[in-house]
Amino acid sequence: MSRMFWTRAGAVTRRGALAAGTVALAALATPLSAQESVNVGVILPLSGPNAQFGINSRNGIELVANEINENGGIEALGGARINLVVADATSNPTQAATVAQRMLSQDEVVAVLGAFASSLTLAISEVTERRQVPLLTMSFSDQITDRGFEWVYQIVPVGSELGRATFDYAVALAEANGESLDRVAIMYEDTAYGTSQAEGLRAAAQEAGVDLVMDEAYPLGITDVSPLINQLRRSDAQVVFPVSYLNDSLLIVRSMRQQGIEIPTIGGAAGYIIPDFREGLGDLTENVLSISPAAYDQAPDLTDRFREEYGYFMVHEAQEHAALMGVLVSALEAAGSTEAAAVKEQLDTMTFDEGWAAVMTGGEVEFDDQGRNPNAVPLMVQWRGGELVTVWPEEYATGEAVWKTTSAGE
Amino acid sequence: MARRGTLAAYGGLAILFALLPLVLDPRGYEMRVLCLVLLFAALGQAWNLVGGLANQISLGHAAYFGIGAYASTILQQVAGLSPWIGTLAGMALAALLALLLSVPTFRLKGHYFALATLAAGEAMRVIANSWSDLTGGPVGISVPFNPGSSVWMMQFQTVRPNYYIFLVTLILVTALFWRIKTGAMGYRLRAIKENEQAAEVIGVDTYRVKLVASLLSAAITAFLGTLYAQFQFFFDPDTIFGLAAFSVKMALVAILGGVGTVAGPLIGAAFIIPMEELANSYFGNSAAGLSQFAYGIVLVAVILVNPYGIVALFARLRGGRRRDRASRGGEARP
Repeated sequence: MSRMFWTRAGAVTRRGALAAGTVALAALATPLSAQESVNVGVILPLSGPNAQFGINSRNGIELVANEINENGGIEALGGARINLVVADATSNPTQAATVAQRMLSQDEVVAVLGAFASSLTLAISEVTERRQVPLLTMSFSDQITDRGFEWVYQIVPVGSELGRATFDYAVALAEANGESLDRVAIMYEDTAYGTSQAEGLRAAAQEAGVDLVMDEAYPLGITDVSPLINQLRRSDAQVVFPVSYLNDSLLIVRSMRQQGIEIPTIGGAAGYIIPDFREGLGDLTENVLSISPAAYDQAPDLTDRFREEYGYFMVHEAQEHAALMGVLVSALEAAGSTEAAAVKEQLDTMTFDEGWAAVMTGGEVEFDDQGRNPNAVPLMVQWRGGELVTVWPEEYATGEAVWKTTSAGE
Repeated sequence: MARRGTLAAYGGLAILFALLPLVLDPRGYEMRVLCLVLLFAALGQAWNLVGGLANQISLGHAAYFGIGAYASTILQQVAGLSPWIGTLAGMALAALLALLLSVPTFRLKGHYFALATLAAGEAMRVIANSWSDLTGGPVGISVPFNPGSSVWMMQFQTVRPNYYIFLVTLILVTALFWRIKTGAMGYRLRAIKENEQAAEVIGVDTYRVKLVASLLSAAITAFLGTLYAQFQFFFDPDTIFGLAAFSVKMALVAILGGVGTVAGPLIGAAFIIPMEELANSYFGNSAAGLSQFAYGIVLVAVILVNPYGIVALFARLRGGRRRDRASRGGEARP
């Protein structure tokens, strides 16, 4: 009985996949035979707590794929169109790996892009490595490229670098403004993301011999942050590093403003550099700083296309995923083949500086032996009138940092 | 006679599942889903030992599962130990935890027991997240990559060997469950389920019986945790000790199929896992949130139609025959 059910389930899935493929093909301007399109796997958290980030990422990838398709597809493959096979990774790594398996065996994807959250990417990489298909990612975790895997490519600075940069940039910015840091505060949500970011900050602070006058975890979904803010006030910290997703970041910044705390606030990416942060806080976001693995003001000519298309600025996860798509297209053009080994050879050796690959720091992407992008540099960004401005390191800065957090209206 | 017929049916099913991989792509998607079906059937069966027979609804079995996964993986990382050995450590630790938990929780009944076990699972999650030196912390932990095939290190180039390990485990766990259910211990557990005080009065050492069942259940769950780690190769505390991903799911598999029955977890897993996959592959792109919604609706509908699980539906269709057979099967082993 269970076998009967299973067989039926398999048949329906395949039929579903076929139908989806047909629809996608029909949507293209000109009729094509199946072999004239290249399947690219996209696995992202499209439901659950990370859904918004997943959707942003998908938008970035779709923007690039549509541009390529509208301009004649991939030349070296006879104008083949890019056919994105998008799937929901949910927030469960087991599901993410199953989805990857489904793509590799049913859709014959040439590469996989994804999956925003590090835990999902790590699970997917175990599948792609064994099937020898390139996996291109913008997840931060060091572990992704620490395991000696040969088929995974990480385009962003790794987590430990981000953590260290957050702290070091803060020290540098303070110095530039004639202040020397010796008392800092950390507050973070007690999730995987918050805990690991806080760990990086803590290590950097201890290394620099800076006093952690506050080091507080709080539960996800906190509704009253006033005890935290009171503690922050008493701690007499010079800088605060809050690590959180959206809702708690809104509460924290609002409470700080209400209590008139004006010390520099340096967020840990995630909730601090998305349009919702501005929407939720309005002018209160003014001069809030945050670390960011990429920034749209580094390549405005490209990222403005995203803004035109979707109506909000190109958030970093969209930008990095767009860059991944750009890298893959260049690799396919150079390889002139969809063979995994041929594509891998280009990924290993090429320097990607054309098209959307140029949207990353330095305008170039390359991958070292470990699969990391040595050109990726973490950036410090600051909110100015509803936009994010890169303020550090100096060579990438498009504006001067304001070393104090005051609301524009005050 | 009837009992022999049931045995033959299970035997036939086992042979069918043993032959199935021969016609499927050994690295394919179907194989992976089938592996998950077998894994969750075995988990449901292990859960059924305590949750089904004695009606001690545990919502914290992920604690044992995670201990098994972490123990073998950490020992492999640190000492290069084979997961077959590492899992023994995991099973022992899980049994130890079950023993410790038995002290405060065995006095509790119903919802209170469920809540206490739920807290135990959550506690393990928090410990694994914060004890970074041992567990690798919130980022998660990977099984050392080994590109070749090795039975000793439980790593293979395709999932076919994993499939057979899952299948054999499921058969053994099911046989064990059957044996316990139809044996003296099964009677004692069911006496506890009906009325714990009355069971105590007629001379059942309720604490001891519950403890033995819990230890077995915990150790088996830990072993399955190792098998999962060697199949998935990466896990993090939030997943492995997760409520939705494992604790509730293994209970759900048993409850939906038919709690306390031999066939329940098998049917439950064969229904839930493909169901979830179908929902994901249909709605995964177009309406991502809808997949879990549709899956939830189906679960609610099944429970509404069959409050006693899918097994009860067959029993109802076959009328009294099944009840008759079940009681006779019980009498065969006094």
